[in-house]
Amino acid sequence: MMHQHPRTASKVASSVPVLRIGAVGKQFGATKVLEKCSLDVDEGEIVTLLGPSGCGKTTLLRCIAGFLDADQGDVRIDGQDMGPIPVNRRPVGVVFQSYALFPHMTVARNVAYALKMQGIRGAEADRRVAGALATVSLQDFGDRYPSQLSGGQQQRVAIARVLVMEPRVLLLDEPFNALDAKLRSSMQVELRQLIKRLGLTAIFVTHDQEEALTMSDRIAIMRAGRIEQAAPPDEIFDYPATAYVADFIGTSNFWKASAAGGTVPLPDGQRRQTEHSGDVQIMARPHNLKLAEPEAGEWRGHVQFHRTIGALIEYHVETSDGVLLQVATMRQERAAPFDDGAAVSLHIIDPTYCAVYPAS
Amino acid sequence: MTALRKYSLGDIFGVGLIFAVGLFTLLLLVAPSIIVVIISFDTRAFVSFPPEGFTLRWYAEVFQQGELVEAMANSLQVGLTVTVLCILLGVPTALACARGRFKGTTALSVFVLVPHMVPGIVLGVAVLFAGALVGVSPSIWLQSISITVFILAVMVRTVQSRLVRLDPALEEAAANLRATPFQSLRTVTFPLLMPAILAGAVFTFVEGFDNLSVAIFTHGFRDRPLPVELLALVQYTSSPLVAAVSGVQIVLAIAALIAVSLSIGLDNVNE
Ligand SMILES: Nc1ncnc2c1ncn2[C@@H]1O[C@H](COP(=O)(O)OP(=O)(O)OP(=O)(O)O)[C@@H](O)[C@H]1O
Ligand SMILES: [Mg+2]
Repeated sequence: MMHQHPRTASKVASSVPVLRIGAVGKQFGATKVLEKCSLDVDEGEIVTLLGPSGCGKTTLLRCIAGFLDADQGDVRIDGQDMGPIPVNRRPVGVVFQSYALFPHMTVARNVAYALKMQGIRGAEADRRVAGALATVSLQDFGDRYPSQLSGGQQQRVAIARVLVMEPRVLLLDEPFNALDAKLRSSMQVELRQLIKRLGLTAIFVTHDQEEALTMSDRIAIMRAGRIEQAAPPDEIFDYPATAYVADFIGTSNFWKASAAGGTVPLPDGQRRQTEHSGDVQIMARPHNLKLAEPEAGEWRGHVQFHRTIGALIEYHVETSDGVLLQVATMRQERAAPFDDGAAVSLHIIDPTYCAVYPAS
Repeated sequence: MTALRKYSLGDIFGVGLIFAVGLFTLLLLVAPSIIVVIISFDTRAFVSFPPEGFTLRWYAEVFQQGELVEAMANSLQVGLTVTVLCILLGVPTALACARGRFKGTTALSVFVLVPHMVPGIVLGVAVLFAGALVGVSPSIWLQSISITVFILAVMVRTVQSRLVRLDPALEEAAANLRATPFQSLRTVTFPLLMPAILAGAVFTFVEGFDNLSVAIFTHGFRDRPLPVELLALVQYTSSPLVAAVSGVQIVLAIAALIAVSLSIGLDNVNE
């Protein structure tokens, strides 16, 4: 097992994830940057690390690539502990935020670099470099220097440069940061399709949630050095595991309530089941709320402000007990929207989509 | 006139002042060299300005005087030795200062500066005594070593400042792309440091060729370097011969600078 090529090892034990991050901890001096950080990534999966600045995303990637050594826990690729394996022998390809292309080498030599370092030369090297350049549609740019390329082209060279060594895991740290907004969204789709076509396993860092929703099979929400929840985008959105995740992804409304006997009363008179008891907070997405005439219900409020966003109307409502909520409805649902200042009643469309969290 | 109106009188005055100071500085730097070159063509046998005629006689004489030619050869050898030593010692020191993870990198990079801060004459005497202690008498080698000690800081600082500005991700990328630390040094770090090493080489070569303050104590009495030879010449004669030697040096210096700026310039195209 030890001496097998990682690829064969994964076939033997198919239940082993390609990448297993097991309770990794890392601290710089007195500050704990990663704490019991765990994540499994399966074959062909694109997982996004999403979280606020400074939560440890880059640090985690650097531990996987081997630029940093984890203080606790382990990183395994195809079941093999990466701890004792130096950077240059880990089956990992890193696309840097700055791309880190070698400025003194042509595009072709940049792409050939990993092969050359492994002693692969001649016809095979030429074939693989041409293949990698064709994969990112840069076959005619081999003789250029990086400074003679646009940002998007440079990024594709950076990708081709790691693809050529056929890594087991691709790590991308905010690869779109240096691109302008328009190029960014087309590159997001393009890169996802490329990774899927090649069947690569990838971890991708961003702090843009829209980018995370576009790119990933699963999103791992990080908070202060831990992974708070890792789940597919729609699951993260519909069933956020914690109030933090709910707050981080999409728009969310919170209010306080008190649970007892396995249920919690909702302000519009409905009830929702919960395993919590005592003080809790309830979260509802704007599209899970709707407005009606004030007589229609017991949960009252008035519209502070509304605006139309395409087919949607977004209402900002203040309830009678002073909580501010956002409500999103389809425009066609009513002949005319409620005016600012109008008295309304609020209703929860589906109580099962309300989340209940212990009061913080 | 419309263009002028966009700027206040103060602006015009300020810009004018900057130009004036620039011009003055340029004159200050270049005028002595120009005067020396002009004098070197004078027909009279003593140094005086302005010249009265034009002759290449002094230049011919420079290359006919055995001691001068030998001194030039000695200085050339010292310059090259100092350059090689500074590259061999300075580049690893700069790497250690900029990339080292051990405690004391700051101490090291300050320590390297110390010999350069000491007056050359003091350093020269110190090396002379130190050499005597270990049984090395003044020679072309002791001279090369003493100037290396004196000028090493320049090589270290030039290379170090380039290293600090180098994106650390480049070396990480090399490692990620299967390069061993040595391969990464050879294929990425060194090529990118080349312009700085070349610039440092020019400074150290010129110092090795031209240094008087340190060399006056440490040079071998059989192989006198050019600055020492010139000092003797200036003390005992006043012929434009000295000016002609300077003329040769100026041409050499300009040639070296042009060569380096061309090669660095070519490197920068790819950056
Ligand atoms: N070499 C280091 N020495 C000390 N502290 C560090 C070091 N590298 C990172 N940190 C700290 O660790 C924390 C996490 O940094 P990290 O770069 O992983 O954040 P990040 O999630 O990638 O943030 P961003 O979204 O801004 O890139 C930060 O508080 C940072 O200051
Ligand atoms: Mg980061």
